Amino acid sequence: MSVPTTTAVSDVPIRRGFMASALAALFVLTLRQNLHGRRPLVLSLLFLLPAVLAAVFQFVPYPPAPEMLEFALVFNLIPHALAPLTALLYAAGAIQDEVEEQTLTYLLLRPLPRWALYGTRLVAAWLTTAVLTVLFTTLTLTVIYWNTPELWGGVLPRRAAVLAGLMALAQAGYCSLFGLFGLLARRALIAGLAYIIIIEGILSNFNFEAVVQRLTVTYYFRVLSLRWLVPSRSGEWPLDLTAAPSADECLLTLLAVSVLFLLLGAILMRQREFRMKTAEGR
Amino acid sequence: MTPIIVFEGVSKWYGNVIGLNKLTLRIPAGVTGLLGPNGAGKSTLLQLATGQLRPSQGRVRVLGQPVWNNAALLRQIGMCPEQDAFWEWMTGFDFVRTCARLTGLGRRAASQAAQRALATVGMTEHMGRAIRGYSKGMRQRTKLAQALVHEPRVLFLDEPFTGTDPLARHELIEVIRALGAAGRSVLVSSHVLYEVQALTPNIILLHRGRLVAEGHVRQIRDLIDAHPHRIVLVCDDYRSLAAMVVGWDDVEGVKVMAGEGALLVETRKPDAFYGRLPALAAQDGIRIREVYSDDDNLEAVFKYLVSR
Repeated sequence: MSVPTTTAVSDVPIRRGFMASALAALFVLTLRQNLHGRRPLVLSLLFLLPAVLAAVFQFVPYPPAPEMLEFALVFNLIPHALAPLTALLYAAGAIQDEVEEQTLTYLLLRPLPRWALYGTRLVAAWLTTAVLTVLFTTLTLTVIYWNTPELWGGVLPRRAAVLAGLMALAQAGYCSLFGLFGLLARRALIAGLAYIIIIEGILSNFNFEAVVQRLTVTYYFRVLSLRWLVPSRSGEWPLDLTAAPSADECLLTLLAVSVLFLLLGAILMRQREFRMKTAEGR
Repeated sequence: MTPIIVFEGVSKWYGNVIGLNKLTLRIPAGVTGLLGPNGAGKSTLLQLATGQLRPSQGRVRVLGQPVWNNAALLRQIGMCPEQDAFWEWMTGFDFVRTCARLTGLGRRAASQAAQRALATVGMTEHMGRAIRGYSKGMRQRTKLAQALVHEPRVLFLDEPFTGTDPLARHELIEVIRALGAAGRSVLVSSHVLYEVQALTPNIILLHRGRLVAEGHVRQIRDLIDAHPHRIVLVCDDYRSLAAMVVGWDDVEGVKVMAGEGALLVETRKPDAFYGRLPALAAQDGIRIREVYSDDDNLEAVFKYLVSR
C-alpha cells in the first residue's frame, strides 16, 4: 500500500463542464447496466416473437395478407404489449434497481444534483427501450413484407421510419410514467403491469366519449398511426377519427405528458430519501 | 479548532423508530472514531453527514455548508459505505474509474485517479479482475478506493475493516492514519473498539441514537467520576506492593493478577495515585516495571458508558 500524498489534500480544481462530463459518465454507465445481464436477452427473445410468428405464417398453406400480419403484430402486439413491458422493466428500475442492489449510494455520493441523476437515468432507459423497440419492429416489418414488392416500395424505409418515430414517442410516454411508478410504488413492476393490462389494454378499447381513452398512450399511438400510416384493418380500433385530435395535437400531448412526468419524477427524486440496509438495521 | 462536521440538535426518525436523538456534535479536523454497538445510529449519522438522509429535526453541516441536496459539497466528501454492494460485473479498476468519472473527472484523469486510489489501498495487482471474484478484504479495499478516488477533504468510512484479515486490517489502519496525517478529515465508524483505538484517540460514543461521550479517550474517562479508574502495576514483588497500596485512602480496591505478575488497583483519584508512584518506585525492594491504565482500553470505557 502506498501512503497518500499531502498534495492530495488540496482541492482538485473543478474544471468547467464537470457536471456535463459526470452526467455523460452516468448516461454511459446506465446504458452499460441496461445492456448487461439477462434482461436484454430475455426482452430480445420476446421481441423476436413477432418476427418469428411472421416467418411461420409465410409457410402455412393459406398465408394471411401482409397487411393483416402487420396490423396484428406491428400495430398491436408490439406497441400494446412488448413496448410498454420493456419500458416498465427499464424505467421503473432506473432508480429502484440501484436501491435493491444497494448501489445507489455510489450515485448519491457523487456531486450530481438528484434531479439530474434521475433525468439522465430515465433518458438512458428511454433510449434503450426505444432502440430495442425500433430495431425489432423494423425486423418484424421486414419479415412480413419479405418477397413482396412493397418491401422496398414504401415499407422500407419510409413506413419503418415513421413507425420508429411513433414507437420512440410512445416509449417516451411510457418511460416517464413508469419512472414515476418506480419512485412512488414499492412494487412498481406489479403496479405497472396492472396499469398496462387495465388502463392501456382494457380501458383504451372502450370509447366512453373518448375520455378514458385520451388518458392512455395507446390512444395517441393509434390516432397517429391512423393519420400517418393508415393500417389496413384499423377499423377494429374503437375510436372515431373525425372526433380525434390532430396529429400535431397528439404529438404535443405525448411530448408534454412525457416532460411533465419526467419533471414530476425529478422533483420527487430531489425530495426522496433512500435508506440503504445496513447491518445496524437502522 | 474549527469543526469540520457539525450536528446541531439532529434527530432522525424512521417512522416510530428513532435513528438519532437530538444529537449535537462538533467534529474537528483529523481522524475521529465513531463507536457504538449495532443499532447505535452510526450509519444513520454517516448517511446524514453525506447527504443521503435528511434530518427530521436539526441541522447538519460539513465544511460549513448544509449537506442535504448540496451536490457541489459532495465534491469534497468521500464515503466508504457499509453495505457490501458493487456493480459486480465490473473490474475493480472499471468500478473505481467509473466512480471517478461520475465525480466529473475526464477519461484520462479518471483512469489516473483510479490507479492512484487502487495503489493506495494495495489493489493494483487485482484491479483487472471482476469484482464478483474478490475476497471480502479486496472488496473492502475497493470500496475505500472509490471513496478516495476524487481526493476528497472529508472521508466517512462505515465499518471499513469488516471482513478483512489481520494483515489487511493493519494495512488499512496505516492508510487511514496516513490520510489523517496528510490533512484529510476522516470519520471512521466501528463497533470493534480496538480497531478505532489503533487509529485515533479521538472518539465519539453513540448508543441508541444518543451521544454518550466524545473527546479524547482520557477526557472521556475523566467524565466518569463514578467509575473507578483501574491502573495496572507490573511488579516482581506484587504481593508486597499490594500490601502497601491497600492502605492508601484513595485506593478502593486491589486485585492480584498472579498470572501476569501484576497488580490491578482501582482508584477514584488517579492523579493523586500517579503522584505517589515515583516515591513508591524509589523504595527498596519494590521494582515497578510497567504502569498502564486499564481504562485507556476503550473497551472498558465503552462498556461502562453504555451500561450507565
